[in-house]
Amino acid sequence: MELSVVGLSHHTAPVEVRERLHFPESELLHALEALRRREGVAEAVLFSTCNRTEAVLRLEGEAQAMPLVAEFLADTRRVDRGEFERFLYLRSQREAIRHIFRVASSLDSMVVGEPQVLGQVKAAYASARAAGTLGGVLDEVLTHAFVVAKKVRTETGIASSAVSVGHAAVELARKIFGSLEGRTVFLIGAGKMSELAAKHLRRSGAQAILVTNRTYGRAQELAEQLGGQAIRFDDLLAYAGQADIVISSTGAPHFILRKQHGEEFMAQRRNRPMFFIDIAVPRDVDPALNELDNIFVYDIDDLHQVVNANLRERQREAVRAEEIVEREVERMLARLKRLELTPTILALQEKFYGLRNEELARAGLRDLTPAQRAEVEEMTRSLVNKLLHMPLAQLKRLPQEPDGLKLVEFIRKTFQLKD
Amino acid sequence: MSLLWLWVALGFYSLGLAHAVTTVVLRRQSWFRAALWAFALGLLFHFVSLVELGLAAGRFPVANIAEATSLFAFLITLGFLLGYWAYGVTSLSVFAFPIVFVMTLASALSHRPAPVVPPVLAANWIPIHVSFSLAGYAALLLAFLAGVMYLIQERELKRKKPRAFYYRLPPLETTDRLGSVALAIGFPFITLGLLLGAVGAAREWGPDWLTDPKVALSFLLWVIYMLLILSRVSAGWHGRKAAIFAIVGMVMALVSWSANYLSTHHTFLGH
Repeated sequence: MELSVVGLSHHTAPVEVRERLHFPESELLHALEALRRREGVAEAVLFSTCNRTEAVLRLEGEAQAMPLVAEFLADTRRVDRGEFERFLYLRSQREAIRHIFRVASSLDSMVVGEPQVLGQVKAAYASARAAGTLGGVLDEVLTHAFVVAKKVRTETGIASSAVSVGHAAVELARKIFGSLEGRTVFLIGAGKMSELAAKHLRRSGAQAILVTNRTYGRAQELAEQLGGQAIRFDDLLAYAGQADIVISSTGAPHFILRKQHGEEFMAQRRNRPMFFIDIAVPRDVDPALNELDNIFVYDIDDLHQVVNANLRERQREAVRAEEIVEREVERMLARLKRLELTPTILALQEKFYGLRNEELARAGLRDLTPAQRAEVEEMTRSLVNKLLHMPLAQLKRLPQEPDGLKLVEFIRKTFQLKD
Repeated sequence: MSLLWLWVALGFYSLGLAHAVTTVVLRRQSWFRAALWAFALGLLFHFVSLVELGLAAGRFPVANIAEATSLFAFLITLGFLLGYWAYGVTSLSVFAFPIVFVMTLASALSHRPAPVVPPVLAANWIPIHVSFSLAGYAALLLAFLAGVMYLIQERELKRKKPRAFYYRLPPLETTDRLGSVALAIGFPFITLGLLLGAVGAAREWGPDWLTDPKVALSFLLWVIYMLLILSRVSAGWHGRKAAIFAIVGMVMALVSWSANYLSTHHTFLGH
């Protein structure tokens, strides 16, 4: 079994190169078939996303993965080999399996833990299956990669914290309020970023949205768009106390919400918590508000700081994810040994001949003449050979079948072959 | 023989303890589901053990400290499971499971058959007084744990530099609510327990009952408990202040409990 991954990714190649080697989905089937037709290629899968183009191959005979893929990419994408060859990397056997598991688990992604890549790997698998370029080995490795990815996702926190400012704000709101169901959001200033944040909060369950802006018309516009209510800018202080979450982004040159306002809000709300997200520069909300109980104020730098902490948390979790991958690679290698057929074939032959010899010994052929005995022996040998022929012929074809490994195991079970 | 079920319960609780330890060591929630089921089963066997002890002694099993500890651990488990069921707060397990385990273990190890109960303790208001008070204590303990979790998470959010706790502790509102509900449920229990105790003490000990340190401290505890509830209901105390108050309440409860060792009248059998 010669398993290889050859390709380039955001780790090695600039986007100008990656985009030229990208396979649009419509061309993928065709490309897979072309790859499979190359000398020595037994199985093939192509990963092609904006961050990577990689060929996963099982080779037979003398074929060399690196030049083969370079030539294939140059031919199909019509790019000069010299332009991309230096970015290509080769991973074989154990390294190849680890690489596939890491890609599927989003450990090799630009933003570690991003969720899209698993879907892309699944799509690549489906295409290879449709193109008929998937055999027993790659089928096994890829389907197991999905299992590993799921395991990594559920057992580590690699994807659980927010890595964008908008998501981080929502996550913070959740850490304060628990559920956002039924919460009121107040937008002070109708900028693009507040609008996005409001949409985000609304999707997470926030109910009422109030909008104010220096130009009332813009507030009305946005309120209508968000299904909220427009407030006149002069009434800002009268309404702010109703809001659980305040997103502020005005162009005001000074603080518009001061500590004393915070105290008033708290008295008015009987100390129910408030979360101020201040994305304005210069800031709208006096940071001194954060000193009051049950009030939390995050400005844009604070949010970035949370995002950075989340990224570090992802990195820490990624270490644990790598351990899971490592264990699963070992497990996979053990399973793939099964696809090396020789032990199974030998065991099968041994089993059949063993049975024949037992039966011959039991039959008591002493009364027969030597000639008759020889004939019985010849007859039984030929019978065993003919019986063996069917499963052996089947077995030898199996590595080419997508479900090959399962069939090998089925045969081992049926004839009770021991490990 | 009669301790068999308590040891079985302890066996199940030990799985909860293992969960808490691995969670702390690995810095992440590990096999919480299994530990939760183990705790539910532990609670069941714990109940069987209490019933059996009670039947064997022909009285409610709260006469000595081992029996009371067992009942207390039982009530904490019950409170934890109810709290989990209502609020889904999983991280409480890290605190609650070891406490329950240690208490049950202490109870099982120190257990010996209670001597003949003197007439004062045979009065039938005693078991009600003890179990109601313990239920109040258990609720206070849960409120205390919720308060501690609240304060840690609040600190994370105020400092704006998320560290391990930020990712692993529940939202502020959840622990705040859990704490206030635990107090609200515990209050009637502790009030009734205290009233029964006061009436009983006045009757049995005569006029000097109020000067007994246990009685005095218990009244102080009750006043704090009541202020806790009032501050939430009328003054709208939320979050930080309420959490700190719950912690003060727990400390007070510990003082009041340890007064069992100071009091001349109010002791368990075997002291």
